[in-house]
Amino acid sequence: MRRSKLLITPVLLWLALFLLVPMVIVVVMSLMSRDTLGNVVFHFSLNGYKTFFDSLYLGIYWDTLVLSVVTTVVCLLVSYPLAYFIANASPRVQTWGLVLITIPFWINFLIRTYAWVLLLRTQGVVNTLLIHFGWIQEPLQMLYTKGAVLLGMVYNFIPFMVLPIYVALEQMDKRLLDAASDLGATRWKAFRHITLPQSKSGIMTGCVLVYVSTTGMFVVTDILGGAKSTMISNIIQQQYLGARNWPFGSALSVIFVITSLILILLFNRAMQSRADRAKEGRA
Amino acid sequence: MKRKGIAGLVLAGALALVSVASLGGCSSSKETLHIYSWADNFDEQVLKDFESKFNVKVTYDNYANNEDLLAKIKAGGGGYDLIQPSDYMVRTMIENNLLEPLDKNNIPNFENIQESLKNPDFDPGNKYSIVYTSGVTGIAYNKKYVKDTIDSWEDLWDPKYKGKVLLLDDNREVIGMALKKQGHSNSSQDEGEIKSAVDDLKKLLPSVLAFDTDTIKQKMIQEEGWIGTVWSGDAAFISKDNPDVEYVVPKEGGTIFSDNYAIPKGAEHKELAEKFINYMLDPQVSAKNYESIGYSDPNAKAMEFHSEEYRNNHMINLSEEELGRTEWLGDVKDTLQLYDRYWTELKSGR
Repeated sequence: MRRSKLLITPVLLWLALFLLVPMVIVVVMSLMSRDTLGNVVFHFSLNGYKTFFDSLYLGIYWDTLVLSVVTTVVCLLVSYPLAYFIANASPRVQTWGLVLITIPFWINFLIRTYAWVLLLRTQGVVNTLLIHFGWIQEPLQMLYTKGAVLLGMVYNFIPFMVLPIYVALEQMDKRLLDAASDLGATRWKAFRHITLPQSKSGIMTGCVLVYVSTTGMFVVTDILGGAKSTMISNIIQQQYLGARNWPFGSALSVIFVITSLILILLFNRAMQSRADRAKEGRA
Repeated sequence: MKRKGIAGLVLAGALALVSVASLGGCSSSKETLHIYSWADNFDEQVLKDFESKFNVKVTYDNYANNEDLLAKIKAGGGGYDLIQPSDYMVRTMIENNLLEPLDKNNIPNFENIQESLKNPDFDPGNKYSIVYTSGVTGIAYNKKYVKDTIDSWEDLWDPKYKGKVLLLDDNREVIGMALKKQGHSNSSQDEGEIKSAVDDLKKLLPSVLAFDTDTIKQKMIQEEGWIGTVWSGDAAFISKDNPDVEYVVPKEGGTIFSDNYAIPKGAEHKELAEKFINYMLDPQVSAKNYESIGYSDPNAKAMEFHSEEYRNNHMINLSEEELGRTEWLGDVKDTLQLYDRYWTELKSGR
């Protein structure tokens, strides 16, 4: 016991120093004021929080939530079949599948996002091919649209969804499926009552990872969205830089972290209670 | 169970790689000049020549706008020796006590600079800064797609260019442009004027392809955008790669800007930075550098070393008449908050 405490001390110190202290600084700064030059002055003020409850910023926050939820759902829909396929494939295919999914991580995220610019722009690969085959006459405007932003988000976060679901499916006791089929369950029934509940932990982890990463993302909207759609993280960045209003930026960050935590808790609670109800129903 | 191990390992490996990659960097025993400036702002060969001539190393990081620069320098970050703030940012940085006074004894080539570009309003007596280049925000357009005569900011609003208009991703530049269009100062502190300018911009929004500062050049070269607000020097750069692109300073006037050499407070290699400024102001080096980056050369003694093509390029060397209807961006004090708010409204489509 004592030894294990000693072992985790460095980790705790690290977290305290690089996670907790900055968080405290942000919270303190969110309660300060700004002077004309944009410096933070130690004068208590709730203005940062008050400004947030302005239809402008609430609306942007709402847009961010919608985009994040949509990204998470699309990621889930794309990733589940993929994870299912990999988990049920031969060991060789499994290894390759996992390697292929992780390879993009080796390339810088920005470079991968710019690659989409080369594919989607008016003189890009996709338009050139479509025109070459005579399927379209004029190039399609795919870049700098909301669709491009969603595509970029989903593309970047798919691995975050696939890997946890894969792990959950892989750990599942496959004999349960044999038992179900012996007892006359159809494949769909077996999937719905055995596979899906068993992979729930993976789905939950994946959803939280994707959701949190999406809400905090601001470069994709700039690069693929032409900086036309604004997410709350764009606003936070703008407050720290262009507007030089650190107290407001900090207040937004605090609100952002708290609401994300609440949403994740609610999500977990909902998933949990549904599982409990399912268990009771079966009993 | 074993499988899980592999998955975990692959993931851990990927994360480790990412973190190692981001920590990357290198150290060297040579004295190093750390430059923090705009993208593509120097000729690479000129930097290399400086490295070998003085047996030093030069690192060059980029920022996309003055505000990024200010935030980083204010936070005491970066360890930079030489920065290139624009006109109004020089003033802000002086007010915030963020710049080292320049030792002119180390920069004898300062004499080479055109008289009109010495002693600017934002830094009387060039105590903290020396001009690097100047230009005007005007309209660049592609003659292949834009057949009409372009001479007014109003032309951006032409429905013919719907979905093909590019705007700088900068609230002062863009709102300033709309203010000029309506006949006001680009640095108005009057809320009514600002609001009316932004309302006008909201009508332009459906036509806008993208807001972009860093890669607006590529978007014009690739013909993604047909028309947009572009800095004169960028326009010169674009037209080199895409000769169909023309540039004009609209009749309502445009915003004139300059980028300047400055040394942040507490810079570790201040003297080396001054040596660098002096080296860059050498007429021949100067000609080579500006010839390559395509921006205006403030060096009066360098003109004879420039090519005829450069000297005749109207996007680089703007006429007296064009320069006559330009305005610097002034300090708007607390109104900056208003600019920010309206800008957020505009960009979030509200």
